Amino acid sequence: MLAASLALNGLVMGSVLLLFSLGLTLIYGVGRIVNFAHGAFFSLGAMAGIWLANSGLPFWAALLIAPIGVGLLGVLLDWAVFARIRDRPMVDSLLLTFGLALLITGVLYELGGRNVQILAIPSALQGVVDIGAIKLPMYRVFLSLLAILLTIALLLFLKNSDWGLRVRAANDDPEMGACLGIDRENLMHSVVGVSAALAAVSGVVGAPIFTAYAAVGDKILILAFMTVILGGLGSLRGAIVAAYVVGLITVFGEGYFGGQLALMLLFVLVMAMLINWPRGFFGEGRTE
Amino acid sequence: MSDSLAASATLSRDMVRTTTYALVVVAALGASVPLWTGSMPFLLILASQAVIAAIVALSLDLLMGSTGLLSFGHAAWYGFGAYLTGLAAKLLTPEMLIVLPLTLVATIVLATIIGFVLVRQIGKTFAILTLALGQIMFALVFVMSGVTGGEDGLQGIPVPKAFGIPVVRPDVWYWILYGVLLAAILASFHIRRSPLGKAWLAIRENTERARFIGLDTGSLKLLSYVVSATLAALAGGLFALFNGAASSDLLNWFESGKVLMYVVLGGVGTIIGPVIGAAVFTITEHYVSSITNSWLIYFGGFFVLIVIVAPGGLFGALSSLWSRFGASRRGAAS
Repeated sequence: MLAASLALNGLVMGSVLLLFSLGLTLIYGVGRIVNFAHGAFFSLGAMAGIWLANSGLPFWAALLIAPIGVGLLGVLLDWAVFARIRDRPMVDSLLLTFGLALLITGVLYELGGRNVQILAIPSALQGVVDIGAIKLPMYRVFLSLLAILLTIALLLFLKNSDWGLRVRAANDDPEMGACLGIDRENLMHSVVGVSAALAAVSGVVGAPIFTAYAAVGDKILILAFMTVILGGLGSLRGAIVAAYVVGLITVFGEGYFGGQLALMLLFVLVMAMLINWPRGFFGEGRTE
Repeated sequence: MSDSLAASATLSRDMVRTTTYALVVVAALGASVPLWTGSMPFLLILASQAVIAAIVALSLDLLMGSTGLLSFGHAAWYGFGAYLTGLAAKLLTPEMLIVLPLTLVATIVLATIIGFVLVRQIGKTFAILTLALGQIMFALVFVMSGVTGGEDGLQGIPVPKAFGIPVVRPDVWYWILYGVLLAAILASFHIRRSPLGKAWLAIRENTERARFIGLDTGSLKLLSYVVSATLAALAGGLFALFNGAASSDLLNWFESGKVLMYVVLGGVGTIIGPVIGAAVFTITEHYVSSITNSWLIYFGGFFVLIVIVAPGGLFGALSSLWSRFGASRRGAAS
């Protein structure tokens, strides 16, 4: 019984991870940037959800406004900061996003992020769903469905829209894409914006479960990094499978051994896997 | 083409000269600290902390500056050394000439096992995994909270002894730490000029070509990782004995960020730059954080600014200024 309940919760966790790591994969694919500040966007989304809810707005409004705000901030950051190091070596982008993560976390600490707060679940989503003999809170069902729907929407958008075509082209070969007239600057602005907005959505919907404080994104960032490595850096379908694998491992590990030991278990598994399959589940990970 | 080559050759000769001057100044300044802090023991303790920070910075530069591998979790080894030394001093013997070598051996074994997997990864995966390693070591403190003290930190590390004599006086401590730092700096310069250092640099510049000319890049990277981890653990061990306690803060990723900042601030690969960066940074941090508690904002903002404006670090910026100044002086003379 415990196992079945853990499995369901693992799927919930996997869905959140999926939504969160898609942004990480996207920004890596187009800009070749490993974004250490992605966790800070998650924290920012969660905190923004709390601020909006405290100012009297309903949950749904917060769910809409926070990602848009964080997304715009992402566009601004890309224009003002990332654009400065576009042609620098990879090391600089890692250092830059790392510094940015510290900066955002520092600002959040000053804006009330020292205390752990919980976003209230809207009344429509309270209650429990019976799945067979297992009870799962309604909110978690909603959370998973939202994450899966957003993921599908993003994938369809990437496949069918003009923007998606550009993103996929830049992902496959940035130089060739630029030769064909894709404006890399504008594309990167939009990609960072979408990526930040995705992180913020997961932050807001996660806030009733994972709570909200300045460093709430740290742990999920590590899990998301494990996800993208397991799936292969830059591989979308790898990330989808890996998100659920990591989600299940984390929840089962927490259920049976406790949270910290689960994290160690995950790390050992990832290391073991890297010995034989350094390019992820589908062998699509980039090696440059 | 030949022009640019010549230019880079003069630049590197100027770099060597700047480095030599900087080394002499650092050595002299460091040695003079106990003279003028005699009446202010607090300053001596701050200086000792700066020296420990400098050793950690040097250890990271041995990795980043030599082979170009970027570690975002260097605090893992620093904290590992601190906890292990602290525990060994508490449970076995306070003799530092026994517990420190013990820590080093344990670090070499563990770093070899972990490094074996890590160094086979490409740059980005390596960076991500080192960050994760930092979090794992952090988690380990809480998993083993029965031994490590968990949230409260490792308390009650006994006063260490050297050759059976207790080491208590702050100035004696300072000389020990300063001696280790100087030895590490000189060893680093020696390695840099040795065939091993040249091979490491070749890997940093172009791993593929280094492999094609017959270098065993995997083992060389592993060696650089293990050396770096071991020196960081030594710094951690010294800190635990000096401080008499160790806390999980040592393993926080913010700590890794600080170490990275020392190196970037000072200039990656310059050896002496990160040492200066660490000293300047530690002292600045102490005074700034006594004025404001939003230190993280300034720290993060400054980090971003340095990466954008001065990717070669302050030392790099200074030595390019120096060489420009030198060039114009030579131009005026001729």
